[in-house]
Amino acid sequence: MTIIIMLVQIIILFVLVMLHVAYATYFERKIIGHMQVRMGPMRVGWHGLLQPIADGIKSFFKEDIIPAQADRPTFLAAPIICLVAMMTSLAVLPFAKGWVLADINIGLLFIFAMSSLSSYGVVLAGWASNSKYSFLGGMRSMAQVISYEIAMGLSLVGVMLLSGSLNLSQIVEAQGDSLFGMYLVPQCIGFFVFFIAMLAETNRVPFDLPEAETELVSGYCTEYSGMRYAIFFMAEYIGMMVMASIGTVCFLGGWNGPFSVPFFPPLWFVLKVYAFMFLFIWIRATLPRYRYDQLMDLGWKLLIPLALINIVLTACLKAMIG
Amino acid sequence: MTATTRKTIECPVAGGDDNERYSLRMGPQHPATHGVLRVDLELDGETIIECTPQVGYLHRGFEKLAENRTYAQALILTDRLDYIAAMSNNVGYCVAVEKLLGISVPMRAQYIRTIVGEMSRLCSHLLWLATHALDIGAMTVFLYCFREREILIDLFEELCGARLTFSYPRIGGVRQDVTARFINELERFLHLFPSKIEEYETLIDTNRIWLKRTVGVGVVSGEEALALGLTGACLRGSGVDYDLRKHQPYDAYDQVEFEVPLGSDGDIYARYRCRMEEMHQSVRIIQQCIDQLPPGPIVGEDAPDLVMPNRAPARVEVGSSRYGTGLIRLIKEREVYLSGDTYVATEVPKGELGFYFISDGSNKPYRMHIRSPSFIHIGSLATIARGELIADLIANIGSLDVVLGESDR
Amino acid sequence: MQIQYKPKRSWLATIFLVEILQGMALTLRRLFSKPITRQYPEERPQIRTGFRGQHALVRDRETGTTQCIGCMRCAVVCPSRCIRIRSHKDKEHWNRRVIDDYRIEALRCVYCGYCVEVCPVNAIVLTEVYEYAAYDRQSIFFDMKQLLVHWDQFAAQLDRPVEEYVNPFWRPRGLPEQTLTAAKRLPVSPEWSGEQQVVGRKWRQHHRPEQS
Repeated sequence: MTIIIMLVQIIILFVLVMLHVAYATYFERKIIGHMQVRMGPMRVGWHGLLQPIADGIKSFFKEDIIPAQADRPTFLAAPIICLVAMMTSLAVLPFAKGWVLADINIGLLFIFAMSSLSSYGVVLAGWASNSKYSFLGGMRSMAQVISYEIAMGLSLVGVMLLSGSLNLSQIVEAQGDSLFGMYLVPQCIGFFVFFIAMLAETNRVPFDLPEAETELVSGYCTEYSGMRYAIFFMAEYIGMMVMASIGTVCFLGGWNGPFSVPFFPPLWFVLKVYAFMFLFIWIRATLPRYRYDQLMDLGWKLLIPLALINIVLTACLKAMIG
Repeated sequence: MTATTRKTIECPVAGGDDNERYSLRMGPQHPATHGVLRVDLELDGETIIECTPQVGYLHRGFEKLAENRTYAQALILTDRLDYIAAMSNNVGYCVAVEKLLGISVPMRAQYIRTIVGEMSRLCSHLLWLATHALDIGAMTVFLYCFREREILIDLFEELCGARLTFSYPRIGGVRQDVTARFINELERFLHLFPSKIEEYETLIDTNRIWLKRTVGVGVVSGEEALALGLTGACLRGSGVDYDLRKHQPYDAYDQVEFEVPLGSDGDIYARYRCRMEEMHQSVRIIQQCIDQLPPGPIVGEDAPDLVMPNRAPARVEVGSSRYGTGLIRLIKEREVYLSGDTYVATEVPKGELGFYFISDGSNKPYRMHIRSPSFIHIGSLATIARGELIADLIANIGSLDVVLGESDR
Repeated sequence: MQIQYKPKRSWLATIFLVEILQGMALTLRRLFSKPITRQYPEERPQIRTGFRGQHALVRDRETGTTQCIGCMRCAVVCPSRCIRIRSHKDKEHWNRRVIDDYRIEALRCVYCGYCVEVCPVNAIVLTEVYEYAAYDRQSIFFDMKQLLVHWDQFAAQLDRPVEEYVNPFWRPRGLPEQTLTAAKRLPVSPEWSGEQQVVGRKWRQHHRPEQS
């Protein structure tokens, strides 16, 4: 019985997340469009509202081209690895009190593990395509994910110190009695580091080097087409959502809000995630792109030391207060 | 090409073995090579060891085509050289032919040509900024620039009926007079435009990422730039004071006041600043031209008819200083024009656009050679990009402001 | 003139990402500004007079056929040589040329407008129609019948009587009347004919004393 309930829950979550992903692309195009004094999609449905559906159907029916020289099994598996790893992280996210599929005690660690795993998909895609641009994209992605994973992990250590737990629900609970009900203020350095590392982890501007279109055509997914390309796309957007959720959970107080909402407890959580997503899009509309070596410089020479300083400060703070 | 070996590349991997090299043919189908440029790269990781630009994918044989067309007809070929700043090419061509054939241009036409030439410069610089910023990843600047470019293109449409391939000037003048509506709209645009430049600058000028990507990247020293034959903003960014509008004025450029912006560092940022400043100067030039626009005819008395040869120009004296060098004969039977050769260069947005004509006295050029700045700038890429990263190569292509239509001709 | 760089960022500005926030403020402002997009098939661009678009042969109101006299000036001046004219001499009517066919290969045309400008009788025109893409080459290869139909279509959608229509290439703006053929001396506004030219402010200030 519990398994059936679990399955139903998973399906509901899956469908909701997929819808969110579809409409995240729509909102991204719309918002960037308006920021660039144009309109974005307007043709399919009212103000282009059906555009993501049309895109989905189109990519589903498109020819799935596999390059002759590609490493076939790896080539086919890479997008799936990406998507699965990203989707799995959704299991431990607490959307509201008790609204979580798997309330495990190492939730944060689990998400790290999964997001590292998804970069395997990218690296393998780059390798298996047997294309030069893809290869460079894969290499860039590898280097980028490895260096920013560290910064990101370190930036969250402060949160772990303060809350004393790796369980995401408990982290949210622990934030209840801090300023504004969130760790944003005591952990401002950590948040700054986390935010930049988050952009880099999800390959977003200004760190979209693995798929830098003006340099590497489309990076690791140059050779992909049709549904497989769409899967990479979905994985990227789910990645964005997962990262935004971690940001919300660890720094913005999760589902806690100024007042509780009776019928839809995850409202504050969802709003905060949307705010994060908007910020992602907004940054994409504004900033140029870093260069590969500068990205590494930023990661290793600025973010990691900052994160370490943050840990020391947090630990001192904790020791003094507690 | 006088490539100076200033960057010695040390191959750090596996004892500098050639096997570690990675060759990449970038282009001709690539989002950032501005058309159909192909760059053959030898890479070590992402560092460029060898960079060989390959051109010719857009070769249409204009120089040969011109030999079979009358001077008036060959004008339309120049539209398609640098299709982003077609008007500048038109003007440059007309200036050259006028010098070759010894035709004078009325003052009003000269002023109008200066106006449209500078508008064309604005158009070109806007497109350059748009694509350059896009290459470096700033997507929004692209659309903001196109917003303003659209206004200019509408103005061109008002003036001559075409939006991209104008064929507006004609030998000995211009084809259509300006209208009051055109002047009004242009003045409104000029009034608005500086604030728009500020808008672009808000997005990129002081942005730390932009600075990181451009300062100290693609450095060309003044001597090097001269040796590579760079002209235009690429040369001025390196601090060499060379602007044909100032130093060899044609049309009405000697009647207006403007400054030639000069950089000193010779990097991408200096070139960028130079072009941004040039936009301000263009606005100044256009405004002065509008203010000083004299009345009078728009086509000279001795201008040839479009269907050439219809009228022979007035007889001229041998060696008259007006007619360039190498004038050999006067008009003989069946020879409606002067024979001889001439090289006339004008300052187009990309740099120095030169036309070299040999005339055998017929109504068609015996030979037309185009010294196109883009071609020479692409040649310099091999030197500039060596030792830098792929991302810098893209930034450099953008910064050199090449148009393949002009390079391949 | 040496170009001026903006002053170097202070350490405070570096920490608080001032220039990035300024940029983001700009994009946020633009988010709420009116987009400049034209929704093309519904919203059409305003085409200026003299736009060089689809070719047409003017239909003579009396004879119902073309005004062309077969002088071949257009075919000669055409840089891409896309005009073909076939004509014969009408022996009964003072050796007048009768046009059998007038063909324009629009795919080769470069829309320079030279043909319109040199035509002594305003027979050909580049209309302001710009939507005539087709799926096959055949239908963009215009013959005389087609070109005359183009004129009818263009005349039908004009907002003023056809008789009053003047193309800026029929009578180039600002060209003196004596250089034009009789048919090209169409009645136009004084600004168009060059009698009343737009003159710069400064020029007017400088030259008024001399004139008076």
